[in-house]
Amino acid sequence: MKISYNWLKDYCKYDLSVATLAERLTNAGLVVDAVKPVDDDYCLEIEVTSNRPDCLGFIGIAREVANIVRSELLIPDVEYAASDESVNDITTVTVEDKELCPRYTARIIKDVKIGPSPEWLQKRITSIGLRPVNNIADITNYVLMESGQPLHAFDFDKLSGKEIIVRRAKNGETMEAIDGSKCALTEEMLVIADSQKPVAVAGIMGGRDTEVSDATKNILLESAFFDPRNVRRTSRKLCLSSDSSYRFERRADPECVDWASRRAAKMILEIAGGQVAEGVIDQNSLESKKVSVTLRMSRLNSLLGLDIDKDTVKDILERLQFKINSVTDDCFSVDVPSFRGDVYREVDLIEEVARVHGYDKIPVKSNIGVKLTQDNIFDKVTEKTKSVISGLGFDEVITDSIVGELQERHGNIWTDDRGIKIMNPIRQDEYLLRKALAHNLLRVKKHNQNYGVEKANIYELSKIYLPQEDDGMPEEKECLSILGEEGFLSLKGVVETILSQLNIVQKLESIHYDFGLFSPEKSAELKLGGSVLGYIGELSREVINDYDFRSKPCVAELDFNILVDKANLEGSYRKIPMFPMVTRDMAIVSDEEVIWADIKGCIESLKIDCIDGIEFFDVYRGRQIEKGKKSIAFRLIFRADDRTLRSDEVDALQEKILENLSNAFGVKLRA
Amino acid sequence: MQEGLSEIQNQAKDDLAKAESLDAVEQVRTRYLGRKGGIINEIIKAIPGLPPEQRSSTGKSANMLKQEISKWIEDARVKLADKEQTSEAKEMFDLSLPGEHKPYGHRHPITQTIDEIKGIFRKLCFDIEYGPEVEHEYYNFDALNIPADHPSREDFDTFYLGNKRLLRSQTSTVQIRVMEKKKPPIRMIAPGKVFRPDTVDARHASMFHQIEGLTVDEGVSFSDLKYVLTLFAQSYFGQDVKMRFRPSFFPFTEPSAEIDISCSICKGKGCSVCSHSGWVEVLGAGMVDPNVFETVGYDAEKYTGFAFGMGVERLTMLRYGIDNIRLFFENDLRFLSQF
Ligand SMILES: [Zn+2]
Repeated sequence: MKISYNWLKDYCKYDLSVATLAERLTNAGLVVDAVKPVDDDYCLEIEVTSNRPDCLGFIGIAREVANIVRSELLIPDVEYAASDESVNDITTVTVEDKELCPRYTARIIKDVKIGPSPEWLQKRITSIGLRPVNNIADITNYVLMESGQPLHAFDFDKLSGKEIIVRRAKNGETMEAIDGSKCALTEEMLVIADSQKPVAVAGIMGGRDTEVSDATKNILLESAFFDPRNVRRTSRKLCLSSDSSYRFERRADPECVDWASRRAAKMILEIAGGQVAEGVIDQNSLESKKVSVTLRMSRLNSLLGLDIDKDTVKDILERLQFKINSVTDDCFSVDVPSFRGDVYREVDLIEEVARVHGYDKIPVKSNIGVKLTQDNIFDKVTEKTKSVISGLGFDEVITDSIVGELQERHGNIWTDDRGIKIMNPIRQDEYLLRKALAHNLLRVKKHNQNYGVEKANIYELSKIYLPQEDDGMPEEKECLSILGEEGFLSLKGVVETILSQLNIVQKLESIHYDFGLFSPEKSAELKLGGSVLGYIGELSREVINDYDFRSKPCVAELDFNILVDKANLEGSYRKIPMFPMVTRDMAIVSDEEVIWADIKGCIESLKIDCIDGIEFFDVYRGRQIEKGKKSIAFRLIFRADDRTLRSDEVDALQEKILENLSNAFGVKLRA
Repeated sequence: MQEGLSEIQNQAKDDLAKAESLDAVEQVRTRYLGRKGGIINEIIKAIPGLPPEQRSSTGKSANMLKQEISKWIEDARVKLADKEQTSEAKEMFDLSLPGEHKPYGHRHPITQTIDEIKGIFRKLCFDIEYGPEVEHEYYNFDALNIPADHPSREDFDTFYLGNKRLLRSQTSTVQIRVMEKKKPPIRMIAPGKVFRPDTVDARHASMFHQIEGLTVDEGVSFSDLKYVLTLFAQSYFGQDVKMRFRPSFFPFTEPSAEIDISCSICKGKGCSVCSHSGWVEVLGAGMVDPNVFETVGYDAEKYTGFAFGMGVERLTMLRYGIDNIRLFFENDLRFLSQF
């Protein structure tokens, strides 16, 4: 809402600089977004919240200012001298849909002289950014801005049948609006029609055919109250809005309808001449229901933490034009004025008092005591996991949950179902909820490569959204996705470090998994105690080419909830061994099919008490090894809790291990 | 005999101290520990000739001394070897070379802000709660007293997913979910992602983060709200921060407030960050609307409460002077590694 600093003085005398006025309005809840000088005046741009349609006019704003500076609110005079001819002899108004149009008034002004507005009027409407058109349009705009009540003037002689019918449009009817847009009307929309056709879309915009022009002589002046929801829906459907629809949508004041009409009639008479027909057609089906609210002083003071007295409250409410009916020790009973549709409960009155009294006067103090907060396991595991990954040199990223088709291109991680579609996306190519994080990490990697950052060791811990049957609420899965540039085993090591730091003792299994995102060889499903923890792999050649990567990144994507479930943050201390360990390094030659997990599993299955660790060193293939075979080197760590192991004991154990390995897999000690 | 041993000990120490080359050390070793004619070995050989009561103790002492001298000789060798190597080397170690760096991982600035704010509210006895990002219309609007077809819905412009599902446009949804689940007293914050179909520019992203707060109990007042949010602002922005509580409108609070802090960039004189007003809006807040309490089945006469919400990106931008919200989601490592 734009307000002129000078014009506002018509309704309330104040002696505030424009800066002070802006500050005081802001502190009363009418935020002044900008102040712009216009000639010898200022234009204040006020942000009016949707609950305060009464402030969408100068008088409403002036009511607030009058309260702030404690001066009188000045309402313009609307008395005029009418002609002898009665409006009822000239035209008729039929309201067919009283629900969508509870009140419609019409006045007739004859023999007006259309022309430019006087300079003062042009200056005023220009000062708030409107464009002068002709005296009649300028006056209806002026009164709209003054009162917040939209008006419309029809060229009366162009109305077929010289009548107004307020009805729903017929499907297929069309109308060209004043701004040139063609409106395709439907039966949900309310129109103002003459005997033949729609001449205005109710509350939104008049039609071009019946617009006031230089040739206009007689005017029908409309002032009405339309159903806010219907105006809003119609405006949305037609993509057509105006200063009128803006106000009707937010609920204009039904009791201001006639006042604004008189005010405009009086101004037309003064500026454009002519005669106003006697009387008004007022089709009013609104029940004047008085809203009364009781305000308890005790409630007011306890809710605000204030100790305000009754006289102050009374003064504030009266200046806001609430009518005080009765007063008892603790209570006020108050009638709410019709323009304050937002006030209907005690708490609404409390807000009015707080707002005008000033939030700054409410003390900063508290009597809410201490309490023990709940533990949040999810937060604790998140914190620990992030500190481990950061410690390993990975940077955290946060990517958009809304993605494009790319996420389906190289295979799906968690589900083959289509991602959930957004019905009103802002980018045509990004309209799906992500169902994995990995693809987003690849995009981040790509972005960084484009800017010359060759290595991106990154991770994200966020939700993905897995669709459910029958468009049900999706499963929001918290996932941890890591992209590493140091090879498959390095990334697997990261996963293992996370598990060990979370004290997860269950064995991590890597099972080969065919998956388009990953290379045929290095691609695995990770299992932890029977549940699928996630997937890990080196990107396939196809993906690397697709993204034009200059490195060979690996990606792991884990179900973070499993980590939260299995983490043990209590931990416990393990005694430092008292007796020294004995180590034996072994290298065995085996067939290609024999895998490390088998070897380790075989040794573990012997359940030798004093084996304290089996550490993998490396795999060697080459000249010194028979073709088709490989050498696997590892270290065995022996230790007993109660004594220092003798060398011959360890020799015997090592022998036993080798024998078992050789029986199971036909391996030989490397020469 | 024992005195004799301690004399030998002292003598050996002196001899080693005087030995200035590896050769000299080797001579000392031969003199004391040599297999043939070494002083200690001679003593050990002589033990069987001692009176029986002395044999065991002398044997022990002699062995201990042997070990001790061996250790001294080893130490002396290491020391001299180092020295000889350094004096032989022609290269000079360049102390000014840069240290070697292990990669250091950074947490996203948004995470860091959320963590810091969680920490502040934990100190104020707030629980941390989370809620779904895909919500039912009911939680995003109806339960929050935002009627269908009301212009106030426009302020929470929303991505729709069909079947009454949407991407939540505010973390206030978590208020309802928590109140449905628990009885008062409630004191919680709920951080999380929210989504709005805004045109993306330097100040708007279609995904961003909010932190919602809620306190419900008997006797909670607007001054409690001011108190808690003042403590928060002082903790996050510093002790000298100035605050301004302005009346505003949110459908789910009444009375409602917007809270500005004095602009830290220009110290209140006016700059582009604060649109030359000296104030920066950082929080929305208010007393929980009785309609919301009714919806979740709380006695609105008995219980009162306050709620607040803040934008994490905005707070982070203010803290670091970041001028473009898009930087947070482009994830350029040259940006992320600064935090
Ligand atoms: Zn500033």
